[in-house]
Amino acid sequence: MDTNRRGFLGAVGRVTIGAAASIAGAGEAAEAAASPGRAPHWGMVVDLRKCIGCQACTVACIMENHVPEDAFRTHVSVYELVTDGQDPAMVMLPRLCNHCDDPPCLPVCPVEATFKAETGEVLVDASKCVGCAYCVQACPYDARFVNHETQVADKCTFCIHRTRAGLLPACVETCVGGARNFGDLNDPESPVSKLLAAHPVSVLRPEMHTNPNVYYIGLDEVLDGRVTGEAAWHPPFDPGASVAEVH
Amino acid sequence: MQVQIHELVGATHEAAWLPWAVQYFFLIALSVTALLMALPGFVLGREASLPRARLALMTAVTTGITAPIALLADLHQPGRFWEFFFYTHPTSWMAWGAWIVPGYVGLLIAFAWAVHRPALWAWGQGDWRYAPLFRLLALGGAGNGFARPLGALAGLAALGILTYTGMEVMVVRSRPLWNTPFLPLQFAATGFVGALGVMLVLGRSLGTGQAVEAAMNRTLALALGLVGVLGVAWFALALSGLSPHHAKALASVAGFPVWQRIALWGAVAIVLPFGIALAAPARSGWITGLLAIHAAWMFRWTVFMGGQAVPKVGSGLYDALMPTGLAGLMGVIGTFGLWLFLLIAYTTFVPWDQAGVPKSGTASEPARSF
Repeated sequence: MDTNRRGFLGAVGRVTIGAAASIAGAGEAAEAAASPGRAPHWGMVVDLRKCIGCQACTVACIMENHVPEDAFRTHVSVYELVTDGQDPAMVMLPRLCNHCDDPPCLPVCPVEATFKAETGEVLVDASKCVGCAYCVQACPYDARFVNHETQVADKCTFCIHRTRAGLLPACVETCVGGARNFGDLNDPESPVSKLLAAHPVSVLRPEMHTNPNVYYIGLDEVLDGRVTGEAAWHPPFDPGASVAEVH
Repeated sequence: MQVQIHELVGATHEAAWLPWAVQYFFLIALSVTALLMALPGFVLGREASLPRARLALMTAVTTGITAPIALLADLHQPGRFWEFFFYTHPTSWMAWGAWIVPGYVGLLIAFAWAVHRPALWAWGQGDWRYAPLFRLLALGGAGNGFARPLGALAGLAALGILTYTGMEVMVVRSRPLWNTPFLPLQFAATGFVGALGVMLVLGRSLGTGQAVEAAMNRTLALALGLVGVLGVAWFALALSGLSPHHAKALASVAGFPVWQRIALWGAVAIVLPFGIALAAPARSGWITGLLAIHAAWMFRWTVFMGGQAVPKVGSGLYDALMPTGLAGLMGVIGTFGLWLFLLIAYTTFVPWDQAGVPKSGTASEPARSF
């Protein structure tokens, strides 16, 4: 049951390239798609020891989901940590919607456009969203944005269009180091459940009590909230101009 | 263990609530607080309060009409506003606001019309070109005893607005600067400051006299004093750690020089008009009024744009505090332009200075005016 890119690459030797997609989806996503009676509860376990910060997931997500150029559904934050004056360590932190079980973005939506899918994803009904951006404010992970091309709230969907077709999310499928693991948290035999059982894991912003479904192996606690450090250089942006450019 | 962190790669997040939102929260706060200040004259029948009540009603109506337009403009899908009424989500304060705002504006306009009805009727009795129009606006009579219950209902709706606007922002736990129990009170108190500022400027522009100006300046000093007390209590709760919400809010911005300057500026913006209003209440309306408007507006700009400039997970600050560009600027200028137009229209076409204590019956004479 291969739920990350490394497992997929290992399987390439056993199958033809033409069957690669079916191998990647031969895991739980495919099983869930074929078993409408059993609803999985999708989750992700990010093994930070394996993340190399290549941003392949960032790019794959943008390409897969047509994310506009001024926003991200997922990206990898990169930090340099200097502990007690020792040599600096590079730390990667993939960020995405945490598909919380108690998502703060959901109750604030005035028109019920944000909802929790049966399979655990927090989704936006784009045909219903009024673009008030209240959910963007409420999300503690800065995981939402207003898409200036669609003018509605936008976010990671765990690539629901792919998982329903038995495929892995694009970021998981493209992860070079096999850091991103995706699967059914309800299934104790799933690789993500086994990872959770085998390793101590952390979540981002635990003080918010949102019950996230994205877990991290090897997350330094100085990075699990708002990171109080020196900021990276930000290009000056202009919210008005980004709207105007689209119009 | 000491850890130094340098963010090497991070994403910036633009402000999702644009300057239109600042305009909305500013104007609606002015409107509801001004309406509350109009009630002693027009609902409780205190004739001595009438000159101030007239300015307050004018402020309430003009800002009350402009505010929802700014709100609509802040929606990224303004054409879908009707969905607020079809898919009301009771857990969302914004959903409640969608019902309260039109209710308030409707009651406000009905109340203002009722207050002005006798004078509209009187203008309609004259032999001049627009008399038929004013007879039409008076709807065939001059009685306006019903203005009092309408005003009371509008006052209740105004309290609803103050509650929902404060709670809507306060419940956002992900933004520590917003998630403080004092925020609704600060919105209300600064709303009074802004409304009194507008009334002072209008009073000066329309020549309502020094006695009215002095009375409004004294009330302004009271409102500024309340804002100051709230501000001091805010810092005391944060620094003492008695309120974790306030402590988190302060911690989220305390280390940044720009926020230290903002705090200093905020203190000056309260103390300066407070001192002037007390020292020269009868002849400082222009300066105290403009300073008060500035204080109320900048408080909201700082809360909304500054609040969104604080990253939830990233390091440093975003540039949302001072967004540049034509679109954001036009939102501010356009809204103020519409408000100015409504003020000119109101003072031109509404017999605002003849508004008196509402009386029941169908008297053809306008109510007594001062």
